[in-house]
Amino acid sequence: MSNGKIISQEPIIELKHIDKHFGSLHVLKDINLTVHKGEVVVIIGPSGSGKSTLCRTINRLETIDSGEIVIDGSVMPKEGKKLAELRSQIGMVFQSFNLFAHKTILDNVTIAPRDVLKKSKREAEEEAMQLLKRVGVDSQAGKVPAQLSGGQQQRVAIARSLAMHPKAILFDEPTSALDPEMIGEVLDVMTELARDGMTMVIVTHEMNFARRVADRVIFMDGGSILEEAAPEEFFAAPKTQRARDFLNSLGDRESRS
Amino acid sequence: MNGAHASIRDVLYDAPGPKAKRRIAFVTVISLLALAALLAAIVRRFYVTGQLDPKYWSIFLRYTTWRFIGRGLLGTLQVAAASSVLAFAAGMLLMMARVCRYRVLNAIATFIIELSRGIPTLLFIYFFFLLAPQFGLQLPSFWRITLPVSISAMGVTAEALRSGVNAVPRGQTEAAVSLGMRSASVFFKIVFPQGFRYVIPTLISEMVIVFKDTTYAYVVNYADLMQNAKVLISNYDALLAVYLVVAVIYIVINYLINKLAATVERRTRAAVAAAK
Ligand SMILES: Nc1ncnc2c1ncn2[C@@H]1O[C@H](COP(=O)(O)OP(=O)(O)O)[C@@H](O)[C@H]1O
Ligand SMILES: [Mg+2]
Repeated sequence: MSNGKIISQEPIIELKHIDKHFGSLHVLKDINLTVHKGEVVVIIGPSGSGKSTLCRTINRLETIDSGEIVIDGSVMPKEGKKLAELRSQIGMVFQSFNLFAHKTILDNVTIAPRDVLKKSKREAEEEAMQLLKRVGVDSQAGKVPAQLSGGQQQRVAIARSLAMHPKAILFDEPTSALDPEMIGEVLDVMTELARDGMTMVIVTHEMNFARRVADRVIFMDGGSILEEAAPEEFFAAPKTQRARDFLNSLGDRESRS
Repeated sequence: MNGAHASIRDVLYDAPGPKAKRRIAFVTVISLLALAALLAAIVRRFYVTGQLDPKYWSIFLRYTTWRFIGRGLLGTLQVAAASSVLAFAAGMLLMMARVCRYRVLNAIATFIIELSRGIPTLLFIYFFFLLAPQFGLQLPSFWRITLPVSISAMGVTAEALRSGVNAVPRGQTEAAVSLGMRSASVFFKIVFPQGFRYVIPTLISEMVIVFKDTTYAYVVNYADLMQNAKVLISNYDALLAVYLVVAVIYIVINYLINKLAATVERRTRAAVAAAK
């Protein structure tokens, strides 16, 4: 494995034979994926290949047609209390931040611990302030999301996820909606999380970042996982033609811009 | 558009040039002249028929007249306030039933909302006034006006609330759900507070409709402003004087409500814009 990191063999997320359609579109085709504790898995692939859908099925924001999702040994049910409980164990960071627009930054971080984990206001706020400090936005605690920059909002979103002490966090293109000068501050926070041993599944187009933090790279196209390899291996010598084309197209884009 | 104060007029027309300005001035003068002529004709008409006689207007110099009008106004305000509260509560329940996951409730709520919106208030009033007593339901006159007015307003209220709730971006729900929040929490703590803010101006505007509907109180012999005005008219024969005074009172109150709606709208629009 890369980074000289030792990854346990304890599975946190297991996807078994996942199939999903959007109408007639077969968007996920027999997906099998296991993410171990402390592992950072980066999913890359062309637009429309099903990366977001895969990410969203993990905590059942999307339903599946068939297959099984197992979170830390528990099969994810279709609905009910158990589903909510398992969802609370998996954090999710969205491309568009999705901070609660009517709540202050502090309340954004405390609402779930108070509502779901039944923490006291004081306890939740103390921890929230620590988390906000960790992501560098503690000075903004009293503001509402609209008053923050995109980079700050996304860091708050990460703190909001962390407040639930998740077993893993899913990131769906967390920097795609950001101005270029703000991408770094969010990737820094994520790099730090990876270093601290957080289990992470990250959909991203930031290849340098992927190279740096990934323990494993997944390449998706047309709803299937086509390749799965350590980053140095994948980026140096992709096995499939489609992955080569994809990496070339990215190279073109970067050299053009 | 230039900021928060752009009106539909600014959208439809360019800023006026010198020629257009002259035309606007011309139209303004003509309109004012026409209005003055109309008013003069009306006043003349009243003068000829004797409605301007001091004897019709002197009643407004008496304290008791104003006290009587004040009692009527109080009656109107009580019905309007009770109807607004009831319509909101019922509208809230209907909206929740309409958006919940149970198809049966959706259908029932939709049906009730359509009835409420489609049937004129007066029909509901006749129901409680004429029909209900035949089935042994004898209500005090306050409720004979308040219930129909509320029922008539609850459907619109439900739909206003629903449009607000639907306008809340899906990402808000997804974020809350992925944190492990249950649907009741997601609705009451995340979705509803935001959706409600979007429609506060609409809800206040609906209060004007409720307020106007209260004038049906005379049908059920409830002592509201309108009813007391009628009493004054029949006692003193002061048709014009009384109607004018009462109309001014209605206008002032509705103006205040509209003003409130506009203020709230400006504030919420600023807040919503800031949130985007
Ligand atoms: N809610 C939806 N309804 C119908 N089709 C969808 C929906 N969401 C995504 N799709 C389609 O599914 C495919 C995969 O989408 P997505 O998972 O967002 O891809 P990616 O994130 O890799 O760009 C695309 O063709 C997209 O148009
Ligand atoms: Mg996507």
